[in-house]
Order: sequence, then structure tokens, then C-alpha cells
Amino acid sequence: MEEKKKSIWKFGTREVVFAAIGAALYAVLGYATNMLQLPGAGNVSIRPAVVIPMFFGIAFGPIVGFISGFVGNILADLLSGWGFWFWWDLGNGLMGLVPGLFAGMIVDYKAVKSLLLGELSVILGSGVGMGVASLSEMWVSGADMNTVIFANFIPSFVSNIVNGLILLPILMVAYAAVVQRSGRS
Amino acid sequence: MLISWRYKYRNSIMDKIDPRARWIFSFAFLLSATMFWNASFLFIFFTLAVIWYSFGKTKWKETRHGWFLVSIMLFSMIVINTIITGGGAGGVVPPGGRVIWPQQFTVPLLNWEINFGLTVERLWFSLCQLMRLGGISLIFLLIPYTMDSRAYGATFHGLGMPDSVAYTMELAIRFIPTLARDLSVTLDAQKARGYEIEKVKGGIFKKIARIAPLLVPVTMNAIIGSEDVANAMDLRCFGQAKRTWIYPLEYHWWDYFLIGFSALMLVGSIIAAHVLNLGGFWTPEWFLNLFV
Repeated sequence: MEEKKKSIWKFGTREVVFAAIGAALYAVLGYATNMLQLPGAGNVSIRPAVVIPMFFGIAFGPIVGFISGFVGNILADLLSGWGFWFWWDLGNGLMGLVPGLFAGMIVDYKAVKSLLLGELSVILGSGVGMGVASLSEMWVSGADMNTVIFANFIPSFVSNIVNGLILLPILMVAYAAVVQRSGRS
Repeated sequence: MLISWRYKYRNSIMDKIDPRARWIFSFAFLLSATMFWNASFLFIFFTLAVIWYSFGKTKWKETRHGWFLVSIMLFSMIVINTIITGGGAGGVVPPGGRVIWPQQFTVPLLNWEINFGLTVERLWFSLCQLMRLGGISLIFLLIPYTMDSRAYGATFHGLGMPDSVAYTMELAIRFIPTLARDLSVTLDAQKARGYEIEKVKGGIFKKIARIAPLLVPVTMNAIIGSEDVANAMDLRCFGQAKRTWIYPLEYHWWDYFLIGFSALMLVGSIIAAHVLNLGGFWTPEWFLNLFV
């Protein structure tokens, strides 16, 4: 039987709900872990929840991934009372969008190739997302490149890829079981 | 886990301003303030931000948690990166300048030699940074405390977002208490099985992996449950016609005034910074003379 090609840019009713679920999950889990600030790193906290936009991107496409990260980060900051930091929200959105670009290549979520693609997407997504957010600090705070790299980019990038590399394969394998049991994709 | 929004009605000026006008003003302020390193302009923006913040009628007790984060950011950007290492001043403050702290500094007892070299210009730049970042923080920190979360969907729709994206925001807000409860129930259930999230043993990798028994069931249950929500929305013909909102927004004359003011501020800033070239950094003579 010919495999049906996934359209990664579709944004219908299911995608609206998945994006909302992803954003709410990211907000709730982000809120629960917002208290863990990295010492000496401006605006950065350790959030195992960063895997949520990455996973929702991989599973449901780049738009769902972007909204999960972007809206989820806004809501987590609103819940924590940390204000609204647009450039970091955008960075979190990109962290979900980039893995979403790999969604079309992944059919079997527990296959080794899929897991490796997922891990690659974590690194690229964190690099692009945190890169954009960190570089915007040059514009807002007047920080120079060294400051941006060492105070913003490296702490957030390293923290996010460690969380993503460990937790994304676990979520992908669990989702493969859900897909297999329910017959949905 | 108890999750609650920070917003509460305070009968303040901010409560009477349309959220769309507030977003427009906030972004116009961000774009305008970031065009300047000139202290005179930054002082005007900072004063404007203080006035805007006072409209919210928030109490220190409510906002201190948010200010804690902002103070970490300000400390790392201003004290560490500009004053101590000089990093934050790169590209804006011209090299050289009048040194007001010894170039070489020996740490007593340890005999470590540190090249510090704090200049008057860097000190002035840190004041400019404080006004610029402080002003932006005042504007954006206020949002969670003074903007009703029920109005987010209608607000973003009113600002030009497609219905589906604005509705996603509404739906996400609706899911938050449900997912927080699921997380709490799952945590209790796992703890009953001997799961210890607080266990301090093990490295960072083990600690992150320890989140999985909590993360996986909550995420998978949410995905499975979302099918019912999607079906219910399809049955009600979601996306087939233009949406209406439970909390419709209405502009008043003061909202139009605020939007007009925001537009003027932005256009004025563009002209001042990019046409008249008044936005650059400079240290006033009186400040230099303080350190003679």
C-alpha cells in the first residue's frame, strides 16, 4: 500500500486543538519549572518542558510546533508574572517550528532513523530559536556579541538541547504506541 | 498544583484601556526606545514608562516575583556585562575614555591582578541601559497583572491574527486548569508507586530523565483527549464562518488617542534617530566633570 504523504503546513481543526494543547502543556510544565534559574545567565531558566514544542512540531507540523512554543511561553510567563518578552517567545516558537520541518520525513516514530532525525531537529531548533532570541538582546539591551553568546545563547542552547535530546525520543516512542493503538497518524 | 492568573480587576486606568490599544502602545514603545542610546531621550521614555506603570495600580507584593527576574536580567546585563567586564558597552561606547577605577587591581591576600579599567563613559552607558531596559520592563511586566486573560483571543483577532490562531490562544487558556489538574493527579499517582521527583541523587541527565514518568502520561493523555475536542469543534462547524467572541472589544475615544500617540511616538522616534541622528550615545560634560 502506498504511504500517504503528510502535509506539514495543514492547519485545520485538529491542528488548532493540538497547538492549544501543546501551548497549554508547555505553559503548565514551564510554570512548574520556571523557578530553576541558571546562575549568571540573563533571562534563562532550565525547563524540561522545552521538549513540548519540539515534540508537537515533530508530531503535528511546524505551525503547531511554533504556536506551542510561542503561545506556551507567553502563557507560562503570564502565569509566573514574568511579563511579556516578545523576542524570547519568538525564539521558543522557532524552537518548535524547526523540528516541525522534519515532520514530513517521520512516519514511524520509534524507528531509529526517525529518532535520529528528531535529535537533529532538537539541535537545529534550539540553535535557531535561542540564536534569534539571544541576538535580539543586542538590539534591546545593547549587549555585544560576547555577552550574547556567553550570557544568553550558550546557557539556553545547552540547557534546551540536553532536555530535548533526553526527553524527545522518550515522547516519540510513547507516541508511536498511541498511533499504533489508535490507528491515527 | 494551584494555577491562577495574576490578573485581577483593580478599577484602574489600565482596566479601562482597550487591550488592543495597549499592545499597540507597548510595541510602539519597544520599537521607539530601542532606537536610542541618548540619555535625554531614554529619560523621557523611562518617565513615560513609570507613568504608564502607575496606571496599573499594582502592588509591590503582587509584582515582586516578576521584578526578581528583571533584576537578575538587569544585574547580568548592566553590572556584570557593562560595569565589570565592559562587554555590554561594546559597539556603542567608543573605545578608550576616562578611567575612574584602577587599570590594574590586586586582590589582597591572593595577589591576583585584575584588569578592570572602568571608564566614566561605561558608567554613563550603564545608566542609559538601566533607563532603557527598566522602561521596557515597566511596560511589559505590567501585562500579566492588568490584562484579562479572557480577552486575549478577541484582542489578537482584533490585531489582525487569523481566527484559527486567535482561537488557539483562547483554547490554550481553557486547557490550562485541566492540564494542571492532570499533572497534579499524575504526580500523586506516580508518587504512590514510589516515584521521587525530588530525589537529589544522580547527575543532570538522570534528573531530566526522571521527569519522563510525569511528562509522558500527561502529554499522551492530553493528545488522546484532544481528539474529542476536535470532533466536537468539527460538529459545530469550526472554521466555516467568521467567529464571534464572548467578550467583544470596543474602542473609546481615549483608545484612539493612545493609538494616535503611539503612532506619533514611533514616527517621531524614527525621525529623531534616523533622520536627525539624535539617538547616538554621548556622555554629558557635567557627568565627566564629576570624576575629574
